[in-house]
Amino acid sequence: MTEEAQVPVTVLTGFLGAGKTTLLNRILTEEHGRRFAVIVNEFGEEGIDNDLVVDADEEVFEMNNGCICCTVRGDLIRILGGLMKRADQLDAIIVETTGLADPAPVAQTFFVDQDVADKTKLDAIVTVADAVHLSDQLGEHHEAEEQIAFADVVLLNKTDLVEASETNEVENRIRKINPFAKIIKTKHCSAPLNEVLGLDAFSLDRILEVEPDFLDSDHDHEHDDDVTSVSFTSETPLDLDKFQNWFGELLRTQGQDILRSKGILNFTGVDERYVFQGVHMLMDASPMGLWPEGKSRSSRVVFIGRNLENMNLLEGFESCKAH
Amino acid sequence: MQSTLSLDLHSQMSAFPTAQRTELEKRGLNIQTDIPVVDAVTITESVAVSFGDGTVRFFRPGLAYTTVEAHKGVILSMVADTGGVLTGGDDGRFLRITQDGATEEIYKFDSKWVDCVASSKNYSACSSGNSAYVWDELHSRPTRLEHPSTIGGLAFDAKGRRLAVAHYGGATIWEKHKNRWKSSRLVWNGSHNHITFSPDGKFIVTAMQENALHGWRVRDKANLAMSGYPAKIKSFDWVEGTPFLVTSGAHEAVCWPFDGKFGPMERKPVCVASNNNELVTCVTALPGDEALFAGFRDGSVLAAEVSDSNGVIPIRKATGSEITAMAVSACNTHIFIGDAKGNLLWTRLVG
Repeated sequence: MTEEAQVPVTVLTGFLGAGKTTLLNRILTEEHGRRFAVIVNEFGEEGIDNDLVVDADEEVFEMNNGCICCTVRGDLIRILGGLMKRADQLDAIIVETTGLADPAPVAQTFFVDQDVADKTKLDAIVTVADAVHLSDQLGEHHEAEEQIAFADVVLLNKTDLVEASETNEVENRIRKINPFAKIIKTKHCSAPLNEVLGLDAFSLDRILEVEPDFLDSDHDHEHDDDVTSVSFTSETPLDLDKFQNWFGELLRTQGQDILRSKGILNFTGVDERYVFQGVHMLMDASPMGLWPEGKSRSSRVVFIGRNLENMNLLEGFESCKAH
Repeated sequence: MQSTLSLDLHSQMSAFPTAQRTELEKRGLNIQTDIPVVDAVTITESVAVSFGDGTVRFFRPGLAYTTVEAHKGVILSMVADTGGVLTGGDDGRFLRITQDGATEEIYKFDSKWVDCVASSKNYSACSSGNSAYVWDELHSRPTRLEHPSTIGGLAFDAKGRRLAVAHYGGATIWEKHKNRWKSSRLVWNGSHNHITFSPDGKFIVTAMQENALHGWRVRDKANLAMSGYPAKIKSFDWVEGTPFLVTSGAHEAVCWPFDGKFGPMERKPVCVASNNNELVTCVTALPGDEALFAGFRDGSVLAAEVSDSNGVIPIRKATGSEITAMAVSACNTHIFIGDAKGNLLWTRLVG
């Protein structure tokens, strides 16, 4: 079987009115010489200027084991399958979700369907947030929190319409939910396209480069946002079997509340770095080469989710240390 | 110089690990198009082939093949129709194309794809989104049949009266009573795609999003679960005789018996045509015989008899690109084979 290039897919989320269509039109009209297909759900809301716009109905369904963590976008499987049969290869595909969509089924589609996984790859989840309204939306709609929690990039848009102090407050709130997302402050979604597309954020080797961007490491809980994040590090090597048992059980039982997880692991007796990332209970993991020389071999895991404080995560992680 | 030569040899060896060109390849027409092959169907002595660039090509014994530029994008579905084919495309068009190259637009949908098509002696049908559209005779207004979710597959029974529609959560059978289409729902959780009636019309089978088939006995809606596949089932066909439903999705062609009242209930399938642990991606029956062709993920094709699990005949060597379409012309004179990279083989089956 020859290895074929996978077409990168960028998922564009964000509440209605945040500026998704503005960003889409910018991506499509800027001179870049690349060929995109765009899968839209709010067709007709504003015109999208591209010859390859696919009108989709967001159809989320459960795989037949009935687990809610294994919901996928059926329409996306069908549309991506159709696009992959085209004679002229696409440079990238952009999937726009509706304002109130949960990004999880979109991301899970790339883990669950073999054809989708073979021929395309999830590039990044880009969330457009409205600096004026995000704070209210976070309080009122759990979908807004999920869109921030899943994001690899948050485009904090309309910053020209609020005071700088307000922008900082919104930014802090985003970071509390998701300290890993890159936040780009813009007006009219005018971010450089290379900071939005072609990020390869879901590839395991990119995880090695992403450092959590904690503003404060003491995790104060003054906000009542129910999506939070925690991270742990360990200089002591971990035991592979213990970790697999703990982490497998954790995702199986708490996967519904763990939105995203990522980590780099140092196991005793294993020379290579072990990297993983998960979306709910689905996970992708692989050894990713030797540890760099002269750098400490420390394990680091990160969780974004709900009710993290009730999962005994620290105790669980500590118990995986090899003695 | 020496080292370059040996390197080249080595790379050729690894690209085609299984075999030399077969006899059928040597005497046939081998074409490299670089355009993904979507589907192939038999039209009496010819075969029609649909491509990812919107073209349909007709292969006829003893003649050069002809190309019809039909759709603007991918041809998503195709079915044989009297003297030609019906096709549905991602350009939203439902077309009828005859072998002489005449193209007729039956219907145009605004921004939606035409995902599935079906044909019988009484009706023509296509689907777009949640709706199936059925024509009594072309040029008339279609009847719109609505479903709870996007349609994954359409098929008429052999008599051409009933239409089976696959969707999320099961399938729907439609039949016309006194000028009105009446529906009957078959329920099973999950997403159902390709659909087919057994030749006697007693069973309906779907290929699911999961690595499984699901079936119903139409009389009492009894369920048949046919699971255990390592991969998604992209292709199936009916082998005459017993009959068997031959399917892709495993490392052999998996053949389920559909004789008797119970069909494959509580029975094991027959598995034939194994090929170095390669996955079968496409299957087609040899009409008039209990035999089949199995196309593999590496581009190779084998022929096998259902009753003989050991004997296989190599039809095509590996190309590195998965088989996506095969069809045998009437009287079994020729076979067409196409793959995802657009490598085509049209060759005589009989010496």
